[in-house]
Amino acid sequence: MLVSVKGLHKSFGDLDVLKGIDLSIEKGSVVAIIGPSGSGKTTMLRCLNALEMPNKGTIQFQDEFNINFDAAPSKRDILTLRRKSGMVFQSYNLFPHKTALENVMEGPVIVQRKAKEKTKALAESLLKKVGLAEKMDLYPHQLSGGQQQRVGIARALAIEPELMLFDEPTSALDPEIVGEVLRVIRDLAKEGWTMAIVTHELKFAEEVADHVIFIDGGHIVEQGTPEEILKNPKEARTKQFLDRILNPS
Amino acid sequence: MFLNNFILAASDPVVDWDLFQSSLWPMIQGGIQGTIPLTLISFTFGLLIALLTALARLSNSKILAGLARVYVSAIRGTPLLVQLFIIFYGLPNIGVVIDPFPSACIAFSLNVGAYASEIIRASILSVPKGQWEAGYAIGMTHRQALLRIILPQATRVSIPPLSNTFISLVKDTSLASLILVTELFRKSQEIAARTYEFLQLYITAALLYWIVCFILSLIQGRIEKRLDRYVAK
Ligand SMILES: Nc1ncnc2c1ncn2[C@@H]1O[C@H](COP(=O)(O)OP(=O)(O)OP(=O)(O)O)[C@@H](O)[C@H]1O
Ligand SMILES: [Mg+2]
Repeated sequence: MLVSVKGLHKSFGDLDVLKGIDLSIEKGSVVAIIGPSGSGKTTMLRCLNALEMPNKGTIQFQDEFNINFDAAPSKRDILTLRRKSGMVFQSYNLFPHKTALENVMEGPVIVQRKAKEKTKALAESLLKKVGLAEKMDLYPHQLSGGQQQRVGIARALAIEPELMLFDEPTSALDPEIVGEVLRVIRDLAKEGWTMAIVTHELKFAEEVADHVIFIDGGHIVEQGTPEEILKNPKEARTKQFLDRILNPS
Repeated sequence: MFLNNFILAASDPVVDWDLFQSSLWPMIQGGIQGTIPLTLISFTFGLLIALLTALARLSNSKILAGLARVYVSAIRGTPLLVQLFIIFYGLPNIGVVIDPFPSACIAFSLNVGAYASEIIRASILSVPKGQWEAGYAIGMTHRQALLRIILPQATRVSIPPLSNTFISLVKDTSLASLILVTELFRKSQEIAARTYEFLQLYITAALLYWIVCFILSLIQGRIEKRLDRYVAK
């Protein structure tokens, strides 16, 4: 297992949002996280890189790194955890004062202290990979939503994370440009990146995910292969959720 | 009688051009020796104090935040002239004697520090939370995210109000004449005391301030335009 999460709890004030999440992510696998609105999907994903600080639980990366949230973890451990994962945000969150290329270079140059020249080549190849070879010197506001999100993906890839986290990467996009972002994610899956993706795109989940997790009310209700969860769910709540998505109204 | 006096006064030449020419250079000199260095030094130190104060107010430390609050409140709640007098005329009573120019620098720096800290604080808070998170997500420390991501964006937001602070400062330095600093307005006072041409000399001084502030506002516009290049129109 690349990542093993045990007993993760998170509450906001009186509101218990995650009530004990156990989860394993195999190296090279794609995990899709689905569930109703407000069930805690975003919170869980953000706990995985400590953008949200869990109240309890542990996250283990292979055998090499373990962080325990029962007591406040050290700053150093939090940084280590964050540097193991790359995050792609629903609203992109690109740095508006930097060009696409500079956005991608920021992590390697500032955080990993890599040489600028080498990083520039890396950043250019990443932007090419996501189909933005022509747009490298543009600022975020000069790019479409789909292009911005692809820069966001390249920026996350640039720190060579062990795990990529996506929080509904296409839900802020117009329907006709969702495809260009999904295509990039699909390519990453083929390249063997380990990814956890919160998504409402069930067809996409079915196609790229190796493992699907259904969350409701702060619990993992059911998990398994896409076939098991999306086609033959066992739990009533999963069935209900899928039914509502597939037959809206 | 009254009418007579009025006509007498009005019959004086409206502008004494010789005096204008001979008074202009001393006043400009006063500006170069006093007003400009006083403004530049006070603004530089003031901004430094302001940044530290803003960071203190935003920090997790209650003590630091509290101290910063008291400082800002005290400076904003008292007249600048009174602050100048305390430093220059007051402190000697406890054995602290400071020359006019450094006294003025201290007072103006503290003043800019307090007002600008509010501007900087607000502009830091105006940067969306997602920007911090994007920095953290690529592994940045708090400090790296602040310096690389947040402050550059906050700077853009704070340039217009900080320019106003700067322009106000240029004008406020005239108060330093009251603690014997040789600067533009004090020069005009000296000449006026000799010639009794108060109106003409003070208007000349006003014009000089106006010209400087006008040029500054032009520069302000240019800087804002340059910083605009990465912002959606
Ligand atoms: N910072 C916060 N402070 C307080 N409550 C929060 C915070 N973030 C999330 N919550 C609450 O936690 C619950 C779970 O939120 P979360 O964003 O994880 O849901 P989600 O499954 O991602 O939903 P969606 O599909 O709508 O994105 C919600 O009730 C939400 O209101
Ligand atoms: Mg969400």
